[in-house]
Amino acid sequence: MASPDAEAPPPTEPERWRDLDILLSRPGNLVHATFQPSPGLRDDIGSFVEVLVVGAGGLGCELLKDLALSGFKNLHVIDMDTIDVSNLNRQFLFRVQDVGKPKAEVAAKRVMERVSGVNIVPHFCRIEDKELEFYNQFQIIVLGLDSIEARSYINSVACGFLEYDSDDKPIPKTAKPMVDGGTEGFKGHARVIMPGTTPCFECNIWLFPPQVKFPLCTLAETPRTAAHCIEYAHLIKWDEVHTGKPFDADNAEHMQWIYSEALQRAELFGISGVTYSLTQGVVKNIIPAIASTNAIISAACALEALKLVSGCSKSVLNYLTYNGLVGTHIKVTEFVRDTDCLVCGPGTLIELDTSSTLSEFIKMLEKHPKLLMSKASVTHEGNNLYMQSPEVLEQMTRQNLSIPMFELLKGASFVTVHVSGMAESNGNKVSSLRKLRVLFKGVEEASKMDTTESS
Amino acid sequence: MAAAAVAVAEPKTKYDRQLRIWGDQGQAALEKASICLLNSGPTGTEALKNLVLGGIGSVTVVDGSKVEPSDLGNNFLCNSRVNKECLGQSRAQSVCSFLQELNDAVKVKYVEESPGTMIDTNPSFFSQFTVVIATQLPESSLLKLDGICRAADIVLVAARSYGLTGLVRVSVKEHCVIESKPDHFLDDLRLHNPWTELKQFAKSIDICDKDPVVHKHTPYIVILVRLAEKWADAHDGKLPSTRQEKREFKDLIRAHMLNVDEENYKEAVESSYKVSVTPGISTEIRQIIDDSSSEVNLSSSDFWVLVAALKEFIANEGNGDLPLEGTIPDMTSQTEYYVSLQKIYQAKAETDCLAMEHRVKNILKRIGRHPDSISRAYIKTFCKNARKLRVCRYRSMEEEFNAPVISEVQKYFADEDSCFAMNFYILLRAVDRLAANYSRLPGIFDSEIDEDVPRLKVAAVSVLSDMGLNGTSLSEDLVTEVCRFAGAEIHPVAAFIGGVASQEVIKLVTKQFVPLMGTFIFNGIDLKSQVLAL
Amino acid sequence: MQLFSSLKMINLFKIKDQKKEESASAAGKAPVKKQSAGELRLNKDISELNLPKNTSISFPNGKDDLMSFEIVIRPDEGYYMSGSFGFTFQVSPSYPHEPPKVKCKTKVYHPNIDLEGNVCLNILREDWKPVLNINTVIYGLNLLFTQPNDEDPLNHEAAAVLRDNPKMFEANVRRAMAGGYVGQHYFPRCA
Repeated sequence: MASPDAEAPPPTEPERWRDLDILLSRPGNLVHATFQPSPGLRDDIGSFVEVLVVGAGGLGCELLKDLALSGFKNLHVIDMDTIDVSNLNRQFLFRVQDVGKPKAEVAAKRVMERVSGVNIVPHFCRIEDKELEFYNQFQIIVLGLDSIEARSYINSVACGFLEYDSDDKPIPKTAKPMVDGGTEGFKGHARVIMPGTTPCFECNIWLFPPQVKFPLCTLAETPRTAAHCIEYAHLIKWDEVHTGKPFDADNAEHMQWIYSEALQRAELFGISGVTYSLTQGVVKNIIPAIASTNAIISAACALEALKLVSGCSKSVLNYLTYNGLVGTHIKVTEFVRDTDCLVCGPGTLIELDTSSTLSEFIKMLEKHPKLLMSKASVTHEGNNLYMQSPEVLEQMTRQNLSIPMFELLKGASFVTVHVSGMAESNGNKVSSLRKLRVLFKGVEEASKMDTTESS
Repeated sequence: MAAAAVAVAEPKTKYDRQLRIWGDQGQAALEKASICLLNSGPTGTEALKNLVLGGIGSVTVVDGSKVEPSDLGNNFLCNSRVNKECLGQSRAQSVCSFLQELNDAVKVKYVEESPGTMIDTNPSFFSQFTVVIATQLPESSLLKLDGICRAADIVLVAARSYGLTGLVRVSVKEHCVIESKPDHFLDDLRLHNPWTELKQFAKSIDICDKDPVVHKHTPYIVILVRLAEKWADAHDGKLPSTRQEKREFKDLIRAHMLNVDEENYKEAVESSYKVSVTPGISTEIRQIIDDSSSEVNLSSSDFWVLVAALKEFIANEGNGDLPLEGTIPDMTSQTEYYVSLQKIYQAKAETDCLAMEHRVKNILKRIGRHPDSISRAYIKTFCKNARKLRVCRYRSMEEEFNAPVISEVQKYFADEDSCFAMNFYILLRAVDRLAANYSRLPGIFDSEIDEDVPRLKVAAVSVLSDMGLNGTSLSEDLVTEVCRFAGAEIHPVAAFIGGVASQEVIKLVTKQFVPLMGTFIFNGIDLKSQVLAL
Repeated sequence: MQLFSSLKMINLFKIKDQKKEESASAAGKAPVKKQSAGELRLNKDISELNLPKNTSISFPNGKDDLMSFEIVIRPDEGYYMSGSFGFTFQVSPSYPHEPPKVKCKTKVYHPNIDLEGNVCLNILREDWKPVLNINTVIYGLNLLFTQPNDEDPLNHEAAAVLRDNPKMFEANVRRAMAGGYVGQHYFPRCA
């Protein structure tokens, strides 16, 4: 899809970007060490940098606008959702008449209509539907998401491109930075993830508290709150009445049924407070959201993206929290990496002969000084090569034991595999899960290029 | 989905995600508010955009400038389908046409006039607004505007983006909050001082019941009221207060468990400190009721009339306590016990509220107002939030500039994190001072940056010395940075500053949550921004 | 700080070159599946399973999809001895941040399992912690059959009978397992 003005940039380009160019063309003392100010820097960013915005919701709409006005000209946006009326209080690129249309497409169109020279490619699909190589074309991935699962997925994809050298040092050109934002009501966070250097999403997953889940027996026997009555109708009563018919939270009739069941139950127990709005809130786990918080967090993310490509100032290290409930409270915390992180960590480098079988490989792990792992099970990108237990899986994977690893890994020269088993730690055997970088001796560099790009 | 169905369902559904935060009351306040924006650069328009989306009543943009090429590079609202059409058009008009597109429920107006001229020649213009958002104004204009707004009791929110820094400040004589909605707040359970009905109810339940189902479904409120009484009986009527006593009290609770997995007893142990909370009134609330404004008269606001009633309540019916909040948190319990407890707390809260209502009516009569001129709903909300009241007062800009609190300023300079912010604060004022002398911002011309650095430093030193801070040194790096910025309005910085400004406007208009207490200084270098209360 | 040197301006030109190479070599690559951290952790849990003798496990989607699986418990003591009870496990990619979703496939007369197969076990909902694992859950499910709990029921009637008349409860369990009616509900044979 081409920008309407792509062929003829307006004659006013340098005047137009006067403010931004001041920042990009002048030297400074508090900038990144690699900053090379130049009047052409903005053009270079515009020409050579491609940024992916994940999510075209509250944050995504703001991000597209912010990035388009920060010198980025090649943007992609991916979102599987369509526009809902309840988005309109903050997703400023959408109008009432857009309800039902794909968010990514409408958002891309609206920004291109207004900011000449920017090209935004929309992707109306799930993030899992894209091949991994799709994500590799971007220099930065900016996340405007509201789910842990989606963040975790993109994180694992982006960290998957990271390679380490033989000294377990991250290879800079393989590190794909992410800028991640999130909001809830008057609160939000923004952070920069540079895989291999700053903590990745999995390193700090504990920052996201799990959702509160009521005990089922409380719902069934001793409900006390309106939410208990709603969850009873949702989790227990629905299945009891609608055998086999799955509940659909986006179906207004289904929601209405839950509401009236919850109301009846509340009356029965003398509980007050069941409303239709609360019913929706509890069942869909609705997170309150407003325009101003999204604007603040997205702006911080876009500014960090600009710093990442230009070096025009220092980067946030590495996690900003914003709280507007009482005053305007901003805190920046420098979290540390989990060096054993399965997703972004280096893992252990293992060199193998192309003739080594899986069973020899497992034996080798027992003696490997950094691992001392016995009873190892081995998995590679969703392929379970050998499972020690349970018996049924052991039987299904046993035949692999005599096959050379090189063959099992489809002739790749350099591969990441994960092993679990009992490893030694301070003299004790503890159950462990480890990442290994397997390098096959004497295999051509050319084939290495091939596999790293697709792994 | 059919368009007709959308239109019908719209208002409630459209605002659903924000109604969950500030409710119908907050939304109604927003829809009544009228906002004036001075200067429609990106900082101001981004602030307005967020308010228009949320359904603010009306906005009026004051800006006399025309759309220039540079607006197309940093202001999304100035851009249009064919941006050549926009160039040379009134900036206010161009911005307003986009704002109107965002939400047709909002009245969008503009005045083609320079804000400076408006401030100088037509101060009464501002009295029609709820809030004035002043963006990118130099100190001299801002000072005048602050005077105008204060005299008319209008909230002023000043915002400025300047390269990688910027600020947002709130200025209003007084802002009183009933629903401050803090994140975490101790429940109002009165376990240290249970009233008769609560004690009676607790007594009606046998906490040593041998039936395991009953035993593990007895709410912790009952357990704690009963065991606190037991403890007091054995300790000269006193409740556990020392660390050792608190530990022993926990042991006493544990000794009553039938089984290790009794959730209600675990909750009782975790909540046992609630028995030992200091009774009475917090210092913050004490300050409010002791404030001279609680001596009410005909011109007092409803808030202060309520505070006056609260003061009487504490001295009389309250027996030294505030009205009861009346809600209890969820806890392991059988439904019947829990619902009974809820009713007991609600009933006491209603009694307290009734007593307050009575006092409010008497006070209103006394000061010459109609006794029903304050609504029941307002009194109820006030009672429910009596522990969370907040009064925010802001010094005028004139006071702040002319009579700085040196000790505070020095404290900020001494602190590693706020020192950066303090530097920016001084430098942003110095920039205006320099501009007043040279008729341009420092760093505007590439050729003069090197000369402007020492000039800016001189201006900054003069700001410091006017504040009585001779000898305080500024960061050379930041002086250079501010020269480098040359007043550039970078879009993401403007969006951030504008976002913070709109967030504060929402809090000020809905009178919910607590607004920014002072000046927020944005640090776009490492994002470690700070609030300075000067 | 060597943090972002890979993205400094100069490398923007390298990026340009790189792009050309990529477009030349990108064709014809097989998509690779991305394993989530949750999947890896589940793999570890599964490979370390220490199943009680009375419990068997199966993977309907084969050896490479462990995210949904089934177990069958055949209690060897207590009220439910010699019965056979199937459970399905659904594990989300956010595991172990989120607990697995467990449902009982076999219709059972049990105070803590309702007739729709919902299971009331604290570690499956309110008390789940990421340090717990699939072994713990399977152990917990086994415990439900040896020690049914009448204090926090999901099937109210069954709990009341267990509490007030254990003999009758035992008879009801037998009848249900053999295939028959308890009250108004028919239970297919599972013994």
